[in-house]
Amino acid sequence: MSRVILVVDDSPTMRGMVSHALNEAGFETTEAENGKDALIKLTTMEVGGAKPDVIVTDINMPEMDGIELVREIRKLSAFKHVPVLVLTTDNTDEKKEVGRAAGATGWLVKPFDSELILKVIRKVLP
Amino acid sequence: MNGDYSKFLQTFFEEVTEHLSVLESGLLTLEQNPNDVEVLNRIFRSVHTIKGAGPMFGFTTMSRFAHEVETVLDPLRNRKFSATREIIDLLLESADCLKMLVEAAKNGTVIDENKTMLDLEARLETCLIIPAPAPDQKATSGPPSTAPTAPAPVTSVHRTYQISWIPGEDLFQRGLNPLKLFEEMGRMGTVRSCVLSASRLPDLTELDPQRCYLSWTCTLETDYPREDIESVFEFAATPGGLTITSLPSSSAAAQPTQEPDPQLAHSVIDEEDDPRLAEVFFGQRSDSLGVILVEQRAVTPAQLVKALDRQETLRAKAKEQKVEASMRVDTEKVDKLVNLVGELAITQSMLSALGGRFEIEHLPILQERLLQLERNTREIQERVMGIRMLPISTAFSRFPRLVRDLSAKMKKKIQLVISGEETELDKTVIEAIGDPLTHLLRNACDHALEPPEERVVAGKPEQGTIRLNAFHEGGKICITVEDDGRGLNRDKILAKAIKQRIITGNDILSDDQVWALIFRPGFTTAEELTDVSGRGVGMDIVKRNVEELGGLVSIKTVTGRGTTFTLSLPLTLAIIEGMTIRVGQDKYIVPLLSILESIQPKADMVKTLIGKGEGVNIRGVFYPIVRLHEVFDLQPEHKNPEEAILLVLEVEGERVVVMVDEILGQQQVVIKSIEENFRKVDGVAGATILGDGTVGLILDVRGLMKLARQEQSIAV
Repeated sequence: MSRVILVVDDSPTMRGMVSHALNEAGFETTEAENGKDALIKLTTMEVGGAKPDVIVTDINMPEMDGIELVREIRKLSAFKHVPVLVLTTDNTDEKKEVGRAAGATGWLVKPFDSELILKVIRKVLP
Repeated sequence: MNGDYSKFLQTFFEEVTEHLSVLESGLLTLEQNPNDVEVLNRIFRSVHTIKGAGPMFGFTTMSRFAHEVETVLDPLRNRKFSATREIIDLLLESADCLKMLVEAAKNGTVIDENKTMLDLEARLETCLIIPAPAPDQKATSGPPSTAPTAPAPVTSVHRTYQISWIPGEDLFQRGLNPLKLFEEMGRMGTVRSCVLSASRLPDLTELDPQRCYLSWTCTLETDYPREDIESVFEFAATPGGLTITSLPSSSAAAQPTQEPDPQLAHSVIDEEDDPRLAEVFFGQRSDSLGVILVEQRAVTPAQLVKALDRQETLRAKAKEQKVEASMRVDTEKVDKLVNLVGELAITQSMLSALGGRFEIEHLPILQERLLQLERNTREIQERVMGIRMLPISTAFSRFPRLVRDLSAKMKKKIQLVISGEETELDKTVIEAIGDPLTHLLRNACDHALEPPEERVVAGKPEQGTIRLNAFHEGGKICITVEDDGRGLNRDKILAKAIKQRIITGNDILSDDQVWALIFRPGFTTAEELTDVSGRGVGMDIVKRNVEELGGLVSIKTVTGRGTTFTLSLPLTLAIIEGMTIRVGQDKYIVPLLSILESIQPKADMVKTLIGKGEGVNIRGVFYPIVRLHEVFDLQPEHKNPEEAILLVLEVEGERVVVMVDEILGQQQVVIKSIEENFRKVDGVAGATILGDGTVGLILDVRGLMKLARQEQSIAV
């Protein structure tokens, strides 16, 4: 069974490209437009008995941003241990620290290198 | 950058276009309400997305510029500043520049730095310099972004960077001197250390003295942001060859408040082949940075070559990729269409079942099925046309900005009220209507609306209002541009028209005829020419553009109260309402819009005037007659105008009478281009398939007039 990755980004281009890179490598992907949408998708996935193995999220999104999403995920018993990788243009130490403190597993920078993303994902896969 | 993302290029441009319009409309909203955080967040996200996605396709200049804009937006949305008029002006200019960069990228042209951009960048960097810290700044954690005494860009923070630079081997051949770069870097702050690495040096036998095998690692303490350091290496760095790591400075060393899941943290600390992983996992190995750097050097040459190759192929591909014309369609529209096609298939199978064993008593059923088929077809036709329909807001969206800029330029207070922007019409019409509307709005701002003082004297509010409205009316779209300005001045227009010899002083014209004069080429009443309008080009072009779309322009005006221009346009260009006519054995279609009336003249109405040829006198006005059978060389049924039918046609304000044998009826016709399949035929606008399956030619009224004029001159 292939591994499922939830890709959260408000930009359809970005979402498409990340999913594309992951699909090419044999991962299955589900997409969400923002933090809130991601939480809804997670709940549906949980009901359906399919949990994402890794979550890749943008930070700057409407409705609910990536940092808040990570905080929310870490509160949910079903998803507490799912690795969450942040994929963002922000590369400041301050922001990274906020992400780390919120419970993000890793910090990837846009423009992304798909090889690096895949390497990181393989690394964090449970 | 790797992988084949070129197929996302189209999506990217569509998305960016949306973001750009969000940016512009957002900035205009912001001007009214500078503290709208919601809007600020929205435009920030738009710029942010452009910045993030741009480099994925190699649009680094676009991304860098977006970054500059973002650095101004960020403190705004964090309420460290409020958006002043100057800042909004600057941001609007930047939005224009960004738009230009996007356009350039779309066309495949590479724009490096140009003056506009560099100038804007410099202004963006300095526009938020503050004389004193904002009051709420102390409350925020982390280093203060600005020292109260030393004015500096908000983004600047005193930081230490570790700069690892592995230049391309062709560094010297490209005429670059590393020493200069280090000197420049030295001017930005204090270089704490500079370590030379010779690990890439090959054996002496293989060494090419013209190549650079060296690399450097420096530590720099500076006030400048990372981008500035990057810009030092801009020309010298090869992709992946420059790594700038910011080292924790004493002030920024905030301690983690909450431990991440230990299990997760543990799983990622140990052995690693890719040094970049260390950064991904929040520098878990930052204590052994030296080791990582060594590793990095070891892997880099190979990686570099690979990355370069990839970039080269991607660039080549991106160039090949032509940006096709595409549009976004609401999924709902597509779903409904799929549904309808399903129904069509059912009707078809019912019909063929019926046809397989047809007996005459089944005729009522056949008729019923055919009716159903007709309904399906019509509905599908409507829906397919609907796919091409876009809300007119796409055309209207640029006008608030236009009016804002014009009002600033002309020092008038102008308010633009837009309504009906959800009205849908054909994409082609929307694209073509932008220019005529721009002309009308410019004219309204420049000519129609009075300066504030004059308005006050006239007892009107100081602020002028222009209303832009779109609505459906009887299968057409009407767009009105209404101003509450001075209105058209009959005497002034007449005087000007006489002066320009368009009319003579003896002509007696109705109001409508006077207003129509402003559509004459070269006509202007402006006493002085401004660079906004009044160069005499404009109104005639407006009229011509609208008529090319099969539409009409009309004017209503009240002196002292204002003017309303109404553009009535067909919903689509692919289908027209046509009148089928017959000349001898041949059928033709005349566009319904151009038919004013049809008459059967009495013998005394038809006269031949010297110099004007054959014509007909209708209610005192003499119109030339064009005998269609003569133009197309046909054998007509009637050669005598009293027996034939005369159609009065109008195009571009000119009227002509066309003589035909019979009017057959009105029908919607789908235009098929002849030019595309054959060649241009004078007097014919296109072809269509008539109800009986034969081909009918659609008459080009303007072309006919030209043909008629030629005939006349030959005859004379």
